[in-house]
Amino acid sequence: MNTGPVLCYSEEPELAEELLRWTHHQKLSEGAPVAAAVLGALPADLPQRYAAAGAQEVYRLAAEAPAFPEAGVLAEALAIVVREAKPRLVLLASTKRGKQVVGRLAGLLDWPVATGVNELRRDGEAWVLEREALSGNAVSVEQFPGGAAIFALTTGQGPPAAASYPLQIREVTGAFPPSRVERREQRPKGGGGVHLETAERIVTVGRGLKKREDIPMVEALARALNASVGCTRPLAAEAGWFSDDHWIGLTGHRVKPKLYVALGVSGAVQHLVGMRGSRIVVAVNQDPNAPILGQADYRITADLYSLVPALLRALGVPG
Amino acid sequence: MSPNLRIWVAVKHGVDVGLTRADPATGVVALEGAPRKTSDFDRNAVEEAVRVRERSGGTVTAVSVGPPSAREALREALALGADEAVLFTDPAVPRFDTRAVARALAATCRTLGGFDLLLLGEGSTDHFGGVVGARVASELGVADLAYVRKLTVEPEGVVAERDLEREVEVLSARFPVVVTVGQEINTPRVPTFMSNLKASKKTIRQVGPAEVNLPASSLAPVQTTLRVAVPQVARKQVPLTGNSPDELARELLSRLRDEGVWP
Ligand SMILES: Cc1cc2nc3c(=O)[nH]c(=O)nc-3n(C[C@H](O)[C@H](O)[C@H](O)COP(=O)(O)OP(=O)(O)OC[C@H]3O[C@@H](n4cnc5c(N)ncnc54)[C@H](O)[C@@H]3O)c2cc1C
Ligand SMILES: Nc1ncnc2c1ncn2[C@@H]1O[C@H](COP(=O)(O)O)[C@@H](O)[C@H]1O
Repeated sequence: MNTGPVLCYSEEPELAEELLRWTHHQKLSEGAPVAAAVLGALPADLPQRYAAAGAQEVYRLAAEAPAFPEAGVLAEALAIVVREAKPRLVLLASTKRGKQVVGRLAGLLDWPVATGVNELRRDGEAWVLEREALSGNAVSVEQFPGGAAIFALTTGQGPPAAASYPLQIREVTGAFPPSRVERREQRPKGGGGVHLETAERIVTVGRGLKKREDIPMVEALARALNASVGCTRPLAAEAGWFSDDHWIGLTGHRVKPKLYVALGVSGAVQHLVGMRGSRIVVAVNQDPNAPILGQADYRITADLYSLVPALLRALGVPG
Repeated sequence: MSPNLRIWVAVKHGVDVGLTRADPATGVVALEGAPRKTSDFDRNAVEEAVRVRERSGGTVTAVSVGPPSAREALREALALGADEAVLFTDPAVPRFDTRAVARALAATCRTLGGFDLLLLGEGSTDHFGGVVGARVASELGVADLAYVRKLTVEPEGVVAERDLEREVEVLSARFPVVVTVGQEINTPRVPTFMSNLKASKKTIRQVGPAEVNLPASSLAPVQTTLRVAVPQVARKQVPLTGNSPDELARELLSRLRDEGVWP
């Protein structure tokens, strides 16, 4: 097998650090170096950060990046680094932009790819990985040839810090290709800084909530239960009532609280995958046939608009 | 650019995840022979393709890669308003994986008349890899705009608003271009009796590797799926009732206390 490094890349340094720590944690490098790729400018604090996350090498494309390095540009730049570093494995984060870069890189290198990878291990000559399948309803165990491959890992699992190693910086010469895409506008989406992955209690609302003005009622319940507020995809992505950090499910966050209270959530498989790790699930839905009720420890067939005020009264919250 | 936009849309006839059944003892899901349907976001992609044609003119060609049964997804795309449909199939390929699908889609669009705009779902309901769009664009050497929520066609290209985890970007690119969409971009129309009837009369063109100049050997799958299983989570399933909402609320809180999850 190729003795090259495991090469980790994300344009978001926190995610690159997570990939580096993960590589150590899963012992993926098998004695070969653990490396990070940097495309373009190298911020002064980055080598130190990457070394603390376990990087032994940084491969840096020493060139000026275009004003808007879209996914196609990042992939071509990364391919230049890959041809130089000859890694055994390229790891990226399975974020939206990450998956886009993976798809383009796969086309350029013709290496096997997988996204949404939760587990990865060596099995003899092969790679064996686990990823979610069937919209998160199932886990698929897949075997890949043991040669070079590109895998995108589900982030947010945060393995512990690795030991720090002396760091080698290797400059790669090359140029960014011109961008085919122009960015006309960029707006950050508001985020409340909620981190549902570590929340102990979560109160989630779905489309059973009729209007935006009713959100304070749900927030009051969450406060009284010392819980964070979660939501389904439509409330974040369509209605825009919540920022994405509240969104739970296949395309949102995976949570594992002690207590999960679902209010007016139907329980689509794409939602269930996000909350399956919860210890106690309470579901409140006025439709006795809602799938969420079949996935609950305590099932309450009721109108949330009568139950939530009653809960607030029982909790002594002034109405 | 020709005034006659060549719009393509890729539709997958994927496993119907709502109808798959796991073996109760092992959790293993048998995918062989599982019920199938058009992948969810691909219906949004078809709808968007048809809307672009309604506004800007052109033709919409739906394309699917898969066994002959994938014609069902194409038939639905025709009923939703696509003008033409092409099935890429090959009995020599045991299973079309991401690489084979991307190659087949790229070769089909390139060979059968070319394209200005290719729409795909941003992820397929069953596999949810989220890579086919970018990989096809890479194979074709064109830009791809992913996770698009609003699409506007201009004379020379498209402007797209796209939704990432922490930001919204407005991007533009010239034709030819690949665009991937999710369920937020539109609400797909529902086929009517008449549109189904019309669709049933159209022919679905069938092609294989030879017609689009691909060696069948370049389509061999790379990975092997060892097992697909549903993790079994046992829930208590206790129904709670009460004579009034207040009684029910008190009952729930006492249960939570007993479980040690609150306060
Ligand atoms: C590829 C893909 C990825 C997706 N990713 C996600 C994801 O990450 N997260 C996610 O959540 N979804 C996701 N979805 C969408 C998912 O399929 C569902 O459409 C969504 O979860 C439904 O949200 P909901 O439960 O809020 O709404 P609905 O399905 O409309 O359910 C509302 C529920 O509220 C109940 N209700 C109505 N009024 C009341 C009341 N007064 N009191 C009590 N109950 C009431 C109704 O009976 C109903 O069951 C995805 C879909 C696809 C295709
Ligand atoms: N077999 C297929 N035939 C046609 N289009 C496909 C096929 N597989 C995937 N696609 C397209 O690629 C998108 C993303 O798929 P995936 O990368 O599997 O998540 C889908 O939404 C489809 O538009």
